[in-house]
Amino acid sequence: MELENLLDPRLIIVTGKGGVGKSTVAASLALAAAGTGRRTCLVEVEGRQTFSRLFSTQTWDFSEREFRPGLWGLSVDADASLREYLEMFYGARRLSRIVTNSSAVEFATTAAPGIKDVLLIGKVKEVERRRDPDGRFHYDLIVLDAPPTGRIVNFLRAPDATTELVNIGPIRDQAQSVIDMLLDPQRTNVHLVTLLEEMPVQETIDSARALDEVGVTLGPVVVNRVLSPRFDDTTRKAFEGLDVAATQRVVAKADVELTDQGAEALLRIGTLHLHRLELQERMRGILSRRLRLPLLELPYLWDEHFGADELAHLAEVVEESL
Amino acid sequence: MTPRDGLAGARQRRLADVVEQRHVIVCTGSGGVGKTTSAAAIALGAARAGRRTIVLTIDPAKRLAQSLGLTSLDNTPRAVKGVENLDAMMLDMKGTFDEVIDRHASDPRRAARIKANRFYQQLSSSLAGTQEYMATEKLYDLHNTGRYDCIVIDTPPTRNALDLLDAPKRLTDFLEGRFLRMFLAPGLAAGRIATRAAGFGAGLFMKTASRLTGQAVLSDLAEFFQSFEGMYDEFKQRAQQVYRLLQSPTSAFVVVATPEVPALREARYFLQRLAQDGMPTAGLVVNRVTPPPPDGLDGLPAKQARQAAGALLGGSADENAVAALLDLHADRLGVTKRERKNIAAALHGIDPRALVEVPLMDSDVHDLDDLTAICEVLLGA
Repeated sequence: MELENLLDPRLIIVTGKGGVGKSTVAASLALAAAGTGRRTCLVEVEGRQTFSRLFSTQTWDFSEREFRPGLWGLSVDADASLREYLEMFYGARRLSRIVTNSSAVEFATTAAPGIKDVLLIGKVKEVERRRDPDGRFHYDLIVLDAPPTGRIVNFLRAPDATTELVNIGPIRDQAQSVIDMLLDPQRTNVHLVTLLEEMPVQETIDSARALDEVGVTLGPVVVNRVLSPRFDDTTRKAFEGLDVAATQRVVAKADVELTDQGAEALLRIGTLHLHRLELQERMRGILSRRLRLPLLELPYLWDEHFGADELAHLAEVVEESL
Repeated sequence: MTPRDGLAGARQRRLADVVEQRHVIVCTGSGGVGKTTSAAAIALGAARAGRRTIVLTIDPAKRLAQSLGLTSLDNTPRAVKGVENLDAMMLDMKGTFDEVIDRHASDPRRAARIKANRFYQQLSSSLAGTQEYMATEKLYDLHNTGRYDCIVIDTPPTRNALDLLDAPKRLTDFLEGRFLRMFLAPGLAAGRIATRAAGFGAGLFMKTASRLTGQAVLSDLAEFFQSFEGMYDEFKQRAQQVYRLLQSPTSAFVVVATPEVPALREARYFLQRLAQDGMPTAGLVVNRVTPPPPDGLDGLPAKQARQAAGALLGGSADENAVAALLDLHADRLGVTKRERKNIAAALHGIDPRALVEVPLMDSDVHDLDDLTAICEVLLGA
């Protein structure tokens, strides 16, 4: 797996520990893919409306909409997936209406655990397989903002668990075709998102192992919010030699007056920065030693706001790595 | 009191009285925000106040678990070395569910039958809300032992922070659901469902269900729910007791977030929901905050810092180093502003009681010294 093949699979499943910026990364990957001319569909599964907020669009739902040139958005939920699936399978709107009005949805989505996840991924599979009249795939790439690493293994194992439990019927067939998609390295890659901090790195390593056992192919690890060094070797040495008085003298040249306390605080910012860089370096080392997957690093953004412009910036970084 | 005053007032308040007085403290929030760390730090505060305390954690980070002396998910309270009055325990979800079955089942044979059922095995590990429910079950157990003055629990990372409050109801609803009653009809033995189903009012449902999944699934389900018969009322009663304990004024909810929008949005929903349900909210803890500049540097605005940095850049090595520092200072001011705005937006029109911002530490938190430092921020010591 090389970094430049990052966007080559048909389906990219983006997951990561809570709080690492998984949705931001999914959105950046999708923007980058659209930027390279791929017809791309960005999918959210948990109805959080994260993307409609990030991109300031109307509420997303079960019908795909083009919200940027070449980039479509879709929000899938289990009820709608079941309804659509039944319509397709039975070709009978009447049946599907009766079923969804009765408790069968509750049965399928709650009582038999995992069936809900099968339906969600089943919808993604339908989008992935869809072809235009000329026979070409409708989308070049689907980017799925998946549940966090704590639940991703159950999520991806759901089809398998379902085939164990349910041995006949359409749900089983659906589950099998979803498994085929997930396990095909040409079709599906899982991109783990992490930060260069201890807990996310540990969880990434653990998840990589668990996902390996599920049999899915891992793509590059996306490292989010990476700090870039503010000092080069020369200025770093100079910084380490600075004391309060020297700092005060230097800032005075630029017409800034600092008290002793102020100069100390300024120096402490530098020390803090170096500590975080050391931590990052250590974590980067652990990741590359333990995982042997390419790392795609996205910068920490210092902007006062985080919105569409910042996403576009991250997408540029992704495109440059291709 | 305007919301603006509310925010400033909330910033003045800390959690000291909470750890000194409350019996149950629930830490909740979305995944990855540092709930376990906050729970451990709060428990440490209660223990240091001389109260017999236990912290019940769910899947803590390895090094934090080690520093609390926890090595396995075994539902056994263990004394934390180096801290008087403090026990810690990791939740074993499956084990807790098994205990619940053992307690409610009329005889051991029935309990064994339930535990062997394939649906039970899946349900006990994967039905949404089960983990939350088991956490509250265990909490209630610990409460009943009478061994602890203060019980701090850390909730599972959920898709929806509200799951904790909904879990008991969802589980009991599920167990006694209308459609599931069909399985309990007398004489409806496993294996004969599809044929018998035609005779029911809900025949179409049964037919559809069995066409969707095959009959074997329905047989398993039928067996599962039949063996639960007679246990529903007790289950429901227990769930209500747990809910009442959480609702009582001796309990406290501490919502945990980071200054990022998704975590704060979740925190806002949860604070609103706590208020709606009449739950005792104690505060919002925001972890990993970029703190405002300390005294002496607070008078240097971003614009001036950047100008000065620009003037110094390209000079001596010292000047370049200081220029980098000034730029960093200006950047940090921007982030502080963004985070403050995020927090203010999340709390708009909401009174979180206390608002505690815990600054981003130099390194990750993993020993008792780190926990002590956080504890002091939380309590305002």
